[in-house]
Amino acid sequence: MFERMLVGRIENRVTVGVLAFVGMMVLLGWAAINEGGRMQAFTKMEEARSIEQGAALFSINCSRCHGTDGRGLAGFGPGLNSPQFFGYDFFPEITKQINDLSAEKVGLNAEKSLSATTPERKTAIDARLVEIDTQIAELATQRNGQITAAVDNGYDPQRPIRLNNLGWVGTQEALIVTTLIHGRPTSINYWPNGAMPAWSQTAGGPLRMDQIQDLARYVQNWNKGDAWTLDDLFAVKQFAKEPVDGAPLMALIEQLQASGGVIPEPVGTDITAVIEQVASVTGDPVRGDQLYHNQVQSQLGQALACNGCHQQDVNGTGPMTKGTFFRVQNERVNDPLLKDYTPEHYLLESILMPGNYLVPGFQNAMLPNFGERITLQDLADLIAYIKTMDTP
Amino acid sequence: MSVLPFPSFLDDVKEKGLKKAVFELVDESVERLTAGMNVQDIREALRGEPASRKPNPRLQPHADGFWLHMRPGYFHSDMTGLYPTFRLGWLSTYLVFFETITGILLMVWYTPSPEVAYSDMLNILGNVPMGQLVRDLHRLGAEAMVLIVALHMVRTFFTGSYKKPRQFTWFTGLILLAITGFLSFSGYLLPWDQLALWAVTIGASMIEATPPQIVGDNLNLLIRGGPEIAANGLLRFYLLHVLLLPALLFVFTGVHYYKVIVHGHSLPPRKENIGEDTAKRVPLDKRVYFIPDVLTSEIMWLGVTTLILVVLCIWFYDAPLEHHADPQVTPLGTTAPWYFLWIQGALKLGDKVFWGIIFPGLILGLLAVWPYLDVTVSRRYADRRFAITFFLSIISFVTILSYMGLAEFGVRTSPDVEIFHEMTFPPAHNHVGKLLPVPYEQLVAGVYSTRQTSASPEDAEAAIGAFNAEIEQQMVPDPLVAGSTITLEERVKRDLEVQHLPLPSGLTFRTVPSDAPELLQQLQYFGDRLLAANNELYNAWGAIIISQNQDNLKRIDLVISWDEVKVENGEPVVGADGKPVLVLDVNGNPMRRVSTAHVFVHKDAAYFSH
Repeated sequence: MFERMLVGRIENRVTVGVLAFVGMMVLLGWAAINEGGRMQAFTKMEEARSIEQGAALFSINCSRCHGTDGRGLAGFGPGLNSPQFFGYDFFPEITKQINDLSAEKVGLNAEKSLSATTPERKTAIDARLVEIDTQIAELATQRNGQITAAVDNGYDPQRPIRLNNLGWVGTQEALIVTTLIHGRPTSINYWPNGAMPAWSQTAGGPLRMDQIQDLARYVQNWNKGDAWTLDDLFAVKQFAKEPVDGAPLMALIEQLQASGGVIPEPVGTDITAVIEQVASVTGDPVRGDQLYHNQVQSQLGQALACNGCHQQDVNGTGPMTKGTFFRVQNERVNDPLLKDYTPEHYLLESILMPGNYLVPGFQNAMLPNFGERITLQDLADLIAYIKTMDTP
Repeated sequence: MSVLPFPSFLDDVKEKGLKKAVFELVDESVERLTAGMNVQDIREALRGEPASRKPNPRLQPHADGFWLHMRPGYFHSDMTGLYPTFRLGWLSTYLVFFETITGILLMVWYTPSPEVAYSDMLNILGNVPMGQLVRDLHRLGAEAMVLIVALHMVRTFFTGSYKKPRQFTWFTGLILLAITGFLSFSGYLLPWDQLALWAVTIGASMIEATPPQIVGDNLNLLIRGGPEIAANGLLRFYLLHVLLLPALLFVFTGVHYYKVIVHGHSLPPRKENIGEDTAKRVPLDKRVYFIPDVLTSEIMWLGVTTLILVVLCIWFYDAPLEHHADPQVTPLGTTAPWYFLWIQGALKLGDKVFWGIIFPGLILGLLAVWPYLDVTVSRRYADRRFAITFFLSIISFVTILSYMGLAEFGVRTSPDVEIFHEMTFPPAHNHVGKLLPVPYEQLVAGVYSTRQTSASPEDAEAAIGAFNAEIEQQMVPDPLVAGSTITLEERVKRDLEVQHLPLPSGLTFRTVPSDAPELLQQLQYFGDRLLAANNELYNAWGAIIISQNQDNLKRIDLVISWDEVKVENGEPVVGADGKPVLVLDVNGNPMRRVSTAHVFVHKDAAYFSH
């Protein structure tokens, strides 16, 4: 009956059909107009739910090392809910001033090392360098005093931006995602409780890429932008550690092996103290010989190669080796300039502070850094060897 | 004179004037396009007037045109009302094209790979203009198509239209029904969400049951592309969905409709004498011409159906999209698509091979050969009591089995897990866990107990105070150290710490603030559910612990604590006093159980829109 009344007649069918099509077009147009807003709302909602997923994943997988609040756990993992991680600088002015002063210092040091620089200029540079160091120290003290707790906890306020410290040029999100993908394979070298493992299935971990993405969104949701407070900084329980250059470490290990487990210390340039200390050390002329002729390294892992300048039987850049002790005993210590010097005193001062006295006829060409390159034992060995050169 | 060897349009303009020449050109073009009807003919037809020229131009497109050559020029007037066809066949055909068009639009934005399929869906929903609408239309159209094709079959059975000579038409129709089901099912997997993965896993596991085992195993391997549904499986389902099944569907639609035309549309049973088939002999006074009557009717139904789909998709229906597919996490209450629920229900009756393979095969097989078994001549309802009873029985049985296929029926999980699920499950099938839609600002950080809701509002403070004292004093067995006890509070705190919930302020319960009525409402629901499950969760209390996780993110922890009861065959043992029998420890004390779950809620997660 409904059918007969409504669509039994062709004009009604045409009307109903046309109305249906027009209605549909109006609806689709209306939907199209609202589409932009709808898509935005969806994206916002989808991101929110992604963060929820990330939170659940973080709670299960990450909180054990990075803390349930993301502020890190001492010795386990660095804080991610941290102004340092998001690169917020609480003292941008001071950071800039110190950076400027440091840059100036580098420039001055470079200028000082030029041969064209006049002695007067060098003196002025030295004065300015001292001034700069004082200024930097003052600025740092003034700043660090406000954040003592964080500094004590390992925070370096001069390097507040994690991405810069890592030399990372991509986005923060990319850093988080890639770190989650492959972990930090070598971080076992500088984290006491183990390395961060790979988390993505791509790299052999447990998570899918969409889960990695959820986690990255959750971590980024800690970012407070410009609203970070010092309290946030103090709440961080562990700051990021940076991988260190392995070469000096390896050198230290070699030194330890060379010194039989004793941590070697450079002898330094405090002549009075060294005279006292060296008296109690027995020198080994054989090892001294080897040191002198570059057959072994010093206990600090340094090649000395004294014979490069002090040749055996002829004077070269430096006086010849043969007869050194004979000359010291019979000529040098008689010089009025070296009044009260014992031969040992003269020898060790010549090694550690070579510029203090120049043998007539020679230039000041010896490097002044041997106090940093040898230990007390090395020094005693060298002196014991030189003492064997006692015939003219 | 024209420069061309034949008269050109410009010559016409010179000769007849611009207006007349253009009109004639349009008229001629329309007549060519329609293969016989000019503008005037169309105008007359749409006005319902008789044709003004002879031979009847309205029959011309049937004779000369491609599209209408497959449609009859006229129908029996008894066939053109809503009864007996209900336009179900036409709508099925229309939906094939509707699904093809919306499907092609979706294909533009979709890659069948587990790596990107889900993010493609998010892109379609959040970044492609009208993407969500097209997806909704495709999904709703698919469900409608399954329904309409099934109803078409039901109608055909009741009017007895499968009888001689239309047995084979019925058979091809049954194949089309199966193809429609599989098309819809194969599309289920493509979004690569939890719903997809697990619905299809259930479906595919039925294939695995095919006897003998070597056939089942290999069929299973063939369809899944591996031991589990992964990249290969997704690609196979995609290719089935966009290539093989549509190709089969088009072929069988062609055969089916060819058979319909060859035998004519069967008339309503009472309009024919028993044993007669007059479909092909339509008396002159009963003829209803395709143009304009049937054509306008078909286009009208097409418009109305599409309008209904669009209205539903804009305001009432969103195609579901759950979390990313995860083979490690089986969601609670996974079901097959509704049109396969009857098989899932049947599987709960017993043997996988019989109920999963043989039984559905029997039903489909019986339906397929039914026209050859039922060789009675009369199509009238009164003469077909057995057939109609039989068919109604099948419908009833399948309906009951479908109900049994629902997650509510037959499958039971431990009640604490069920309650947690009810409170926190992510959006699925347009439902969502009870706690998620609570407005964000009403999720006030704090520790709340269902004890508050079992007291009257005035006594709430006192009840919570008493509860705080109770859990501080109640000693329960320490699960970590055999034989020793700890306070219940300590026990709960420890369980929460295992879930990485820091409790800086300890576990001090408080009442729900008065400005959080919806939170209170859900706490009430939580308490009611625990009370209802008292036989299994004896002496239970529940807690809701809300903490601020990030500035715009809250964490909700749920705790249920109860005295463990004895369970035999999945049912709690009830003692002579009507109370459940408790499990006791070595000291004769009840074993106190604690169970926890948690969920995170973001300020912008907008669960309330579901």
